[in-house]
Amino acid sequence: MRTMLPTCSLLLAAVLASLTVAGCSRDEAKSTDAPAASADSGGSAKGDFGPAQGTPIDAVLTAPPNVPPPTGRTAPAKVIVKLDVVEKDMPISEGVTYTFWTFGGTVPGSFIRVRQGDTVEFHLRNLPESKMPHNIDLHGVTGPGGGASATFTAPGHSSQFTFKALNAGLYVYHCATAPVGMHIANGMYGLILVEPPEGLPPVDKEYYVMQGDFYTTTKYREKGHAPFDMERAIDENPTYVLFNGREGALTGDQALTANVGQNVRLFVGNGGPNLVSSFHVIGEIFDKVWFEGGTRFQENVQTTMIPAGGAAIMDFHLEVPGSYVLVDHSIFRAFNKGALAILKAEGPEDKTIYSGKEVDYVYLGDRGQPNMKAVSTAAAAASTGDLTVEQQVAAGKALFAGTCSTCHQAEGQGMPGVFPPLAKSDYIAADPKRVPSVILHGLVGPVKVNGQDYNSNMPPMSQLTDDEVANISTYVLNSWGNPGGRVTKAEAAAIRQQKPGNASEGH
Amino acid sequence: MSLRSLFLLAALACSALAIAQPPKARPLPGDSVYQLALPLTTQDARTVDWRSLRGKVRLVSMFYTSCQYICPLIVESGKAVERQLTPAQQARLGVLLISMDPARDGPAALSAVATKRKLDAARWTLASPRKDDVRKVAGVLGIRYRLLADGEFNHTSALILLDAEGRIIARTETIGSKPDPEFVAAVREVTSR
Amino acid sequence: MRSLAAILLVALPIAGLAGDRPARYAGLPGGTFQSALRYEDAKGGVKVEPFAMMRKPVTNVEFLAFLKRHPQWQRDKVPKVFAEPRYLSHWASPTGLGKNAQPGQPVVWVSWFAASAYCESLGARLPRWNEWEYAAAADETRTDARKDPAWRERILTWYSRPSNEGLPRAGLQAANAYGVHDLHGLVWEWTDDHASMLVDADNRKQGDPETARFCGAGALSMDDRENYAVLMRVAMLSSLQASDATANMGFRCARSAP
Repeated sequence: MRTMLPTCSLLLAAVLASLTVAGCSRDEAKSTDAPAASADSGGSAKGDFGPAQGTPIDAVLTAPPNVPPPTGRTAPAKVIVKLDVVEKDMPISEGVTYTFWTFGGTVPGSFIRVRQGDTVEFHLRNLPESKMPHNIDLHGVTGPGGGASATFTAPGHSSQFTFKALNAGLYVYHCATAPVGMHIANGMYGLILVEPPEGLPPVDKEYYVMQGDFYTTTKYREKGHAPFDMERAIDENPTYVLFNGREGALTGDQALTANVGQNVRLFVGNGGPNLVSSFHVIGEIFDKVWFEGGTRFQENVQTTMIPAGGAAIMDFHLEVPGSYVLVDHSIFRAFNKGALAILKAEGPEDKTIYSGKEVDYVYLGDRGQPNMKAVSTAAAAASTGDLTVEQQVAAGKALFAGTCSTCHQAEGQGMPGVFPPLAKSDYIAADPKRVPSVILHGLVGPVKVNGQDYNSNMPPMSQLTDDEVANISTYVLNSWGNPGGRVTKAEAAAIRQQKPGNASEGH
Repeated sequence: MSLRSLFLLAALACSALAIAQPPKARPLPGDSVYQLALPLTTQDARTVDWRSLRGKVRLVSMFYTSCQYICPLIVESGKAVERQLTPAQQARLGVLLISMDPARDGPAALSAVATKRKLDAARWTLASPRKDDVRKVAGVLGIRYRLLADGEFNHTSALILLDAEGRIIARTETIGSKPDPEFVAAVREVTSR
Repeated sequence: MRSLAAILLVALPIAGLAGDRPARYAGLPGGTFQSALRYEDAKGGVKVEPFAMMRKPVTNVEFLAFLKRHPQWQRDKVPKVFAEPRYLSHWASPTGLGKNAQPGQPVVWVSWFAASAYCESLGARLPRWNEWEYAAAADETRTDARKDPAWRERILTWYSRPSNEGLPRAGLQAANAYGVHDLHGLVWEWTDDHASMLVDADNRKQGDPETARFCGAGALSMDDRENYAVLMRVAMLSSLQASDATANMGFRCARSAP
C-alpha cells in the first residue's frame, strides 16, 4: 500500500492534465450535474476547505444494501466513525456456512458517507472474541497506507486515527493485514463515499452492492461448512462470486425494490480479492456511470468494468415494471458461481416501450429437411449385402457417430485416463481383429494403449447387428492412422459366437 | 380416452346437428379447442361434454378449489372482465372455470365456490374433467401446472377468450381486479358482433 | 425387477409386438430419487413408484402401424389444435415413410398429443419427468452415474453434434443398467407432464421474487448446476406447447406397475 501512493498521484496528475487539454475545445459545455467539463475539480490540492466547523458529528453507518442519507452539509465538519471488526460464521449459500471476517458484522462492511473537506476521526474496534489482528486501508485517505499502519489492532483493542477527506469519489476500504488476500477473501471490504461539496444529484433510491470472490475447499453449493482454500485463491479460481457476501443476498424476499418512474442509483464496489467485474443490469441501460467512482460520468452504458479494489456509481430511470437482474457479465460467474441479484420494479406496464412476447409463430427456416446425403448414408449402414470397403467405411462412420463417439470421441482420440483412444492405437495395430471382438464382447480390466494404462468397463455392444459391427470395425481400421483392412459380416458373425477375450491378452 | 370413438361421436354429432341446428352444421375448425372430447362434471352435478358449449363466446381458465392464493384472484379476474361489459355483452359471454384437481373438486366443492363468490349460474360454469383429461385440456389451453407434494398446484394463471367456435382469440396472464385493457377490448369486440 | 417386467409383458399382449424380440418394456424398481431440479416441496427427494418403460424410443415403422389403426392421427387428418403443420412432415406421405424416414429411426416431428395417443392405444402412457430423469441417471453398469464427470462429458457429446445429419436407428447404443437404450444421445423425448416444467423463459431470473406467474412456489430452479444435460432437457420441454413438433423430439411409452 505504501509504495502505491506516489504512483497513484503521478497517474492522477497525468489524467488531470489530459482532461484539461480535452476540455479546451468544448468550453461552452454546461452541466448542472457535474463540474463544467472545461475545468478539473482541482483534486486534493483544492479539497481542503479549512478547519472543521460546528460540533463533531457521529457518522450514520448502514448495513448493505442500504446507503446513509446525503450529508446535506455546506461546510466542513468533524465526523466520528466507529467501526467494529467482527469474525463470524454466516451462510454463504443455502445450507452452506463460511467463517467471514467483517467490518461491522456484514459483507460488505458498513457504508460510510462523508463530504469532501470533512475531518474524519476513525475508530477501529476489534472485538475481544476475534482470533486475528486487523487493520483498515481506506482508499479515500491521503496518507501512507491509507490508515493501515495507524489502525493495526489486536483482538480486544481499539485504534484511532484522523484524516481529512481531500478527494471526492466512491472509495473501497479493506483490511490490509497479512496475508492481505486472505483477509479480503474472507469479506473484509466496504465502501466510503466522499461527496463532492455540492453533493450528488438527488435520486429516489440509493443502494449499496459489492462483489467479492470466495475460495473454499468444498464445491459450489456443497452443504455444510466451507473452509477457506488458499491454493484456489492463489490460482484465482473461486468457488463463489457473490454480491453482498451470500448467494441470494439480493434475491427473493431480499431483492432490491423500486417503482416505475423512479431514478435509482447503485453504489457498486468490487472487493475482489482477484476478479475484475463486468457489471451489468439485464434489461436496463445506465443513464450515467461515474466510472471508477470518480468525478465524471459517462452516459448510456451497458456494462461497466469495476476492478478489484475499485467502485462505480450508476444511475438509471425505470420505465417499465419487472425484474432486472444484476450480474457479473463474465457470465459463468453469474449462473454457476452466484454473482446474481435482482432489482424488482413495480408499477404500470407501458407496452409502447416494451411489449413482452407478442407472437410465437412457426419458423421454417430456409430448409425444412435434414441433410439428404447423411440420411442415405445412415440407411446404407443398416443394409445387408455386399458393400465395398469404401461403402463400409462411409456406413461405419455414421454408426460410429451414433454410438461409439460418446466415449471414444468423434476423432477416436478417447478421453485420457478414462476411455482409451482408437486413433493410431498400438492395441489395434497388434491385432486388428480385436476391434470387432471388443465391440461384441466388451472389455473389462486393465489394458495399456499407446503407453497409458486404462481400467474401465466397456459393456458388450451386442445390440449391434453383424453388418453394423463389420462396418464400424472397417471404419475404425481405416481411420486416424490405424493399419487399414476390413471386417466382413461373416467374420463379425463368427466373432459373435466366440468366447469373450481377455483384456490383458498379449500384454 | 378412445380417440376413435371421439371422432365417431364428433362425426355423428355433426351429421345429427346438420338437421336440427343449421348454425352448428359447419365442421368444427381444426384449431378449435373443442376438437378435444372433454366430458365435464359441473357444479350442479351434470355431466356434459364441453363441445356443447360451442355457439357462445367463452372466458376459460383453470383453477382448483382448495387454492388459497391465486385461484380466488382468477375468479375475481373473470368478474372484473364482466364488469367492463354492457349487460348485452355480458349476456353473450359465458365463463368456464375448469378444475385441475378433479379428485377433490366434485360438484359439492365447485358449487361451494359458486355460492361463496356469488357467481351467476346462468353465465358461470365451474366444472371438473376426468383425471386423465386434465393434461389434455391444459395442453389445448396452453396452461402449465405441476402437482406439489402437499397437494397444492403450481400453475400458470391465464384467462383465455374463446370465440363461439372454440378458437383462442385472446389470452392474458394479468390476474386481479384490474384487467388487462387489451384483453377487455378483445372481449368487448367479440361480444358485440 | 425381472418379475415386474414379466408381469408387464403379460399385461401387454397388444398389437403383436412381442414376436422374437426381447420384451419391449424394461421394469424399473423406483424409489426415492434426488432430482437435479430443485423442488421446494420435495427437498428430501422425489418418490418414483415402480414402473416400466419402453427399452427404445418409438420408431417410424411402429408409429406408421399406429396410424394405420388410428387414421385420425395421420398428418392430413389431425386437427391443428393437436398437431402443428410440420407434424410428420418428413414422411413421404401420410401413410408412407419414404427416403427421409428410415423404418428403424425414432419417429420425430410428433406432437405431445400424438405421442400420448400412441401410448394410450397400447394401454400405456408417456413417462413422467421424474421417471424419465430417474431412468436416465443410469449408465451401462450403474443405476446412478450422475456424479461421474466422464459420464457427464459423454452425454454432453450429443449436444455438441449438429442436428442436420440423419438420426441413427433406435437401439444402436448399448442399454443402460435398467436395460433401457437411447435415453441420451439420440432424441429429445416427450414426457407426460412436460407442461409441469414451470421454468421462467428467462432462466437468469432465478431468485426472482415474482411468484404470481406460477401460483404457489414459483418457477423451478436447478439444484445441480453441473448437470447441464438435464438443464437442457428441461429447457427444451418447457419451450414447447403440446401441439408443437420438432426435428429431434421423439418419445417412448411407460406404464405404472400393476
